[in-house]
Amino acid sequence: MDIEIDTCNGCGQCAIVCPVQAIQMIDNKAVIDEESCVECSVCYRDANCPVKAIKIRRLKWPRAIRVPFSNVRVTHKLTGIGGRGTEEMKTNDVTNRFDFGEVGISIEVGRPGIGTRLENIELFTTKLSKIGVSYEEKSPITELLVDDEGHINEEIKDQRVLSAIIELKVPEKKLSQILEVIKQVEQEIDTVFSVGIVSRIKDNNTKEIINRISELGFEVRPNAKINIGLGRP
Amino acid sequence: MTHTLHRKGIEKDLNRDYVILAMISAGVNDHYDDVRQKMVKIGEIFNEHNPINIMSELGWRTSATITAAYNDIEIVNKIIQILKEEDLGISIVISGLISEIENVLKEVDLDIHTVHFSLGTFGHRKNEILPSEKLLEITTMCGHHTVSPQSITHYVNLIKRGKTTIEKAASKLTRPCVCGIVNTSRIIEILATLVKE
Repeated sequence: MDIEIDTCNGCGQCAIVCPVQAIQMIDNKAVIDEESCVECSVCYRDANCPVKAIKIRRLKWPRAIRVPFSNVRVTHKLTGIGGRGTEEMKTNDVTNRFDFGEVGISIEVGRPGIGTRLENIELFTTKLSKIGVSYEEKSPITELLVDDEGHINEEIKDQRVLSAIIELKVPEKKLSQILEVIKQVEQEIDTVFSVGIVSRIKDNNTKEIINRISELGFEVRPNAKINIGLGRP
Repeated sequence: MTHTLHRKGIEKDLNRDYVILAMISAGVNDHYDDVRQKMVKIGEIFNEHNPINIMSELGWRTSATITAAYNDIEIVNKIIQILKEEDLGISIVISGLISEIENVLKEVDLDIHTVHFSLGTFGHRKNEILPSEKLLEITTMCGHHTVSPQSITHYVNLIKRGKTTIEKAASKLTRPCVCGIVNTSRIIEILATLVKE
C-alpha cells in the first residue's frame, strides 16, 4: 500500500482502520510503516479516504507474498477461494478429507490479529516434520515448504502477513506428539497463534475427543464449527 | 479456513452468536448445472430468517461459500430443518456453542459429521501483545481480522462524547467484514459495556 503524502489531508481515518496498526500520523500526515504493513488493503477499502490518497501498488516478489495471506479479497491460486485457508472440514461430508481415526490440526500463526513473519512457520514445521505429518496439499503454506524437514523458502522468511495457517492431519494416536510441539513453540514464538483440532464424530459422541484433548492438558473452548453432513459429492 | 472458529467470549454471550455457512467443494460438487441455483436458494433461506448479518447477494451468485450470522438458536433450528427438507446436497457448517448445536441436531434428527474444535490462543507473549478480551470479542468476529482494535476504541470515545450512537458505531464496525459474519447485535452489547468503563 502507498499513501500519497502530498495528497493526504491528515484526517487519520486510515490509521484508525489498519488491523495491524501499521499507519501512524506524523506531522499531520499518514505514514505507513513498510515492515509492519501486511498489504491487507483494509485501509484502501474501509478508511473512506476523502482525498483518495491511498493507492494499491503493484508488488514484486517476495513482498507480493503478503497479499494472499492478508487480503481477504484475493483468491489464492491453489485454493481457489478468498482468505488464507482451504475447504478443510467445511466440506468433509463431501471430500472425506478427515476420516475416523484421524485428527486434523489447524495452527493459525498470527491470529488473532497480531500478524507474523513467515519464518515463524518453521518453528512448527521443522518439529512437525520429525513426527511425520500429512500437510494439506492445497494449503498456501504447504506450497512454501522446500524440503521434507519442514523448511520454508528463504526468500520469504522475513515477510510479514496477517496470519498463516498450517493445516495437517495425523492418525489420532499422534495427537499427543502434536500437542507437545504446540507447548514447545508457545515458549519460543514472538507472536500468537490459534489452534484447532478437527475430528470426525461417531454416534454424535463429541465427549470422547474432548476428554482426550483435556487429558493431554488442553482445554477445548465451548464454541466450535460443526459440519452437519448435508453435503453430497 | 478457521474463519468462524476462534470467536472469543464467555458461554452466556456466545449463546447469542451463531454463524451458518454453506460451501461447495472445488472439483467435487461445484460443477453441476444447478449448483449456483442451489447456492442462491440457500442465500434466500438464510435471508428470510432475520439474519443479524449476511453475505451480499452478489456473493450468493459468485462465491464458493455463503455465510450469515444469527443471535437466536431457535432461528438456527428452523433454518436447519428447512435445509434438511430441501436436501440440496451442499455442505452446511454451524459455528457456535457445541451444546446448543447438539440439541438442535437432536431435535432435527441429524447427526454431527465432523467438528473443528478450538483450543484457543497461545504464545508466551500473548498477555503482553493482545488487546483486551472485550476488544477481542469484537475483532475475532471477523474471521479475516479486518476490524481493528483501535477503531473500536475510537468509536467508544466518540460515543462517550455524544458524537455518535452505539448503534451507528456498531454498524460502522460491521462494515469491513465482507463475509457478513460479524454479529452486530453482539457488538452493540459489548460497546455498551465498554462505554460504561
